[in-house]
Amino acid sequence: MNERFYVSAPPHIKTKYDARYMMRQVTIALIPPTIAGIVIFGFRAFLILIISILSSILWQRLVLLLKGERRVLDGSEVVTGILLALNLSPLVPWWMPIIGTFVAIVLAKELFGGLGFNIFNPALIARAFLLVSWPMEMTTWMFPYIGINQATPLSGITQATPLTLLKLQHTYTPYINLFLGNRGGCIGETSVLALLIGAGYLFFKGVIDWKIPIPYVITVGVLAIVFRQDPLFHMMAGGLILGAFFMATDYTTTPITKLGRIVFGISCGVITILIRLFGGYPEGVSFSILFMNAMTPLLDRWTIPKPFGYKTLGRNA
Amino acid sequence: MKRFFRPFINGILRENPILVLMIGLCPALAVSSAAINGIYMGLAATFVLVGSNFIISIIRKFVPNQIRIPIFITIIATFVTIVDMVMHAYAPDMYNILGIFIPLIVVNCIILGRAEAFAYHNSVIDSIGDGIGMGLGFTLILVVLGGIRELLGNGTLFGFQVMPVSFKPVLLMILPPGAFLTIGFLQALQRYRGGKS
Amino acid sequence: MMSHFLLLFIGALLVNNILLIRFIALCSFFGVSNSMSTSIGMGMAVTFVMVLASSVSWILWHFILVPLHLEFLQISAFILTIASLVQFVELFLKKNSPTLYRAMGIYLPLITTNCAILAVALLNVLNNFNFIDAIVYAIGVSGGYTLAIVMFAGIRERMSSAPIPKAFQGYPIAFITASLMSLAFLGFKGLFGL
Repeated sequence: MNERFYVSAPPHIKTKYDARYMMRQVTIALIPPTIAGIVIFGFRAFLILIISILSSILWQRLVLLLKGERRVLDGSEVVTGILLALNLSPLVPWWMPIIGTFVAIVLAKELFGGLGFNIFNPALIARAFLLVSWPMEMTTWMFPYIGINQATPLSGITQATPLTLLKLQHTYTPYINLFLGNRGGCIGETSVLALLIGAGYLFFKGVIDWKIPIPYVITVGVLAIVFRQDPLFHMMAGGLILGAFFMATDYTTTPITKLGRIVFGISCGVITILIRLFGGYPEGVSFSILFMNAMTPLLDRWTIPKPFGYKTLGRNA
Repeated sequence: MKRFFRPFINGILRENPILVLMIGLCPALAVSSAAINGIYMGLAATFVLVGSNFIISIIRKFVPNQIRIPIFITIIATFVTIVDMVMHAYAPDMYNILGIFIPLIVVNCIILGRAEAFAYHNSVIDSIGDGIGMGLGFTLILVVLGGIRELLGNGTLFGFQVMPVSFKPVLLMILPPGAFLTIGFLQALQRYRGGKS
Repeated sequence: MMSHFLLLFIGALLVNNILLIRFIALCSFFGVSNSMSTSIGMGMAVTFVMVLASSVSWILWHFILVPLHLEFLQISAFILTIASLVQFVELFLKKNSPTLYRAMGIYLPLITTNCAILAVALLNVLNNFNFIDAIVYAIGVSGGYTLAIVMFAGIRERMSSAPIPKAFQGYPIAFITASLMSLAFLGFKGLFGL
């Protein structure tokens, strides 16, 4: 058979906007929060990141081998690896990112048919899986290295996150610490500044749009006011910025219609505040996005735009 | 002997009610967070199954066809009530763990299904044999499920420490998601083996 | 008072979702969630029957079984009541409301063996609910049932075109999906102290 007569399925004309391009852009956008995480939490954070990325690539290769597919890696496994590490405390045991990436790559993605077919955000499933399985290890936090106004001695461990402090001791962390990242938390969620730089890059490149993250963050702020809490604090604390701009904007697991995306963002905001203020867990960003991932097929179905002049036929028509 | 064992093996593997026929799922998932729960739940269901099969095969000649279902349900409900009371009295701890799933044996499709499909048409001895076989198949799968979940989620088996102390139990396995996950993987395994042979 | 009902409702709807957290009525969860319209019909039928069955069984328990000291007949009495109630509803709808019958008629016979109905009737007694509580609880539970099964149907519809590994096609992947949904619902654990 002559290679030149090979017939491929459409599309035949391709732009540069394929999965690899998108994943490269997201990886670039994740550089500022990653660097911030390493600066803030030091070598430990670097180690977790490396283990997470490497094991992620390993699982992906293993799956392709088992499936007998000669597919080129599309870069999504690197993004998943980075995102999972950014969602872990720097103090988690070394084996946790390995199990986490297995859950993300194999359970949440490849069993469902691979990239583009997964129902849930792989990195968030992995985080939720780890949080539910090992709640102690997942919520042991460390002091940031660059901290300057520490009241407690620099023991390096068991610092609480701003949201835990609010829930248990009713104290607010100062804005400046939240903004720069001088607080306990997951590796990539602490520095709002670095996250916004990365998110700005994605906006600029047209990889993400405003329809999910902005309604999400605003809903959290507005509901915080409704429940007499500090809105700015709630918008910057926890994993909201990381979740809203980098996780809730995943193409596969979020609605495609405009209205669907806005509803997705607002609902995430409502659930996040609900869990933060009244729930058993201090943070609700990952669970809210996962819940809305499950709602995504319904949102897509119920928010299909009607063509101009289209009328629903009455029952007796 | 062979005649007796073949349907028995069949009930466990090829026509396993839970993995293949997809009936009797609720108790299987709900109480399988530990192996020992599986034994109690399975034996309770086996007792009801044998009892109702026995009575139904005795009275089958006198039961009018049109109202057989309500009669079956009444008989099953009676045996479930007996199990419920006996467990409440003699195994109160287990009764609290299994909770609502004891009375829910009434609506377990396996039991009504066997009454309708087997006991209504067969002799007393055969019906008892069928009840025991089906019941033990059900018990076995509950114990396997419970064993896997208990081992991974708690590091123990029937309450004894099996995994090394350094093993950090996967708590998720004894929570609801772990039940769905285990059964999904067991089914895939069954499917994979079936596809090969 | 209002917040008491709200808590009861949210608890039944999300925190202790009957399908994903409590594992009741799973046969129908996996059996009829192949298509969206079936799931919606089933959800409607379950809601309707559950509210009705809860009130009837509550009355039966508090005005007949307890005064006559016939508590031991609970299981038999409830299941027979539910079975005949479903029959009655089916006949009634067929005669008086053809539209409603068309929407959920074919699901009604399935409901007799839907353990959620019996479970809620039993839980109402177990939790010492008063009549209004029982109704609110039934609405919450059936709302949670409908929410989960419709969500699940949407996901399964989307998955029908996915290249899922052969051994996992069909029920195995459905169980794994249910597992991940259940994981998402665990986020509501402890909501309002429930």
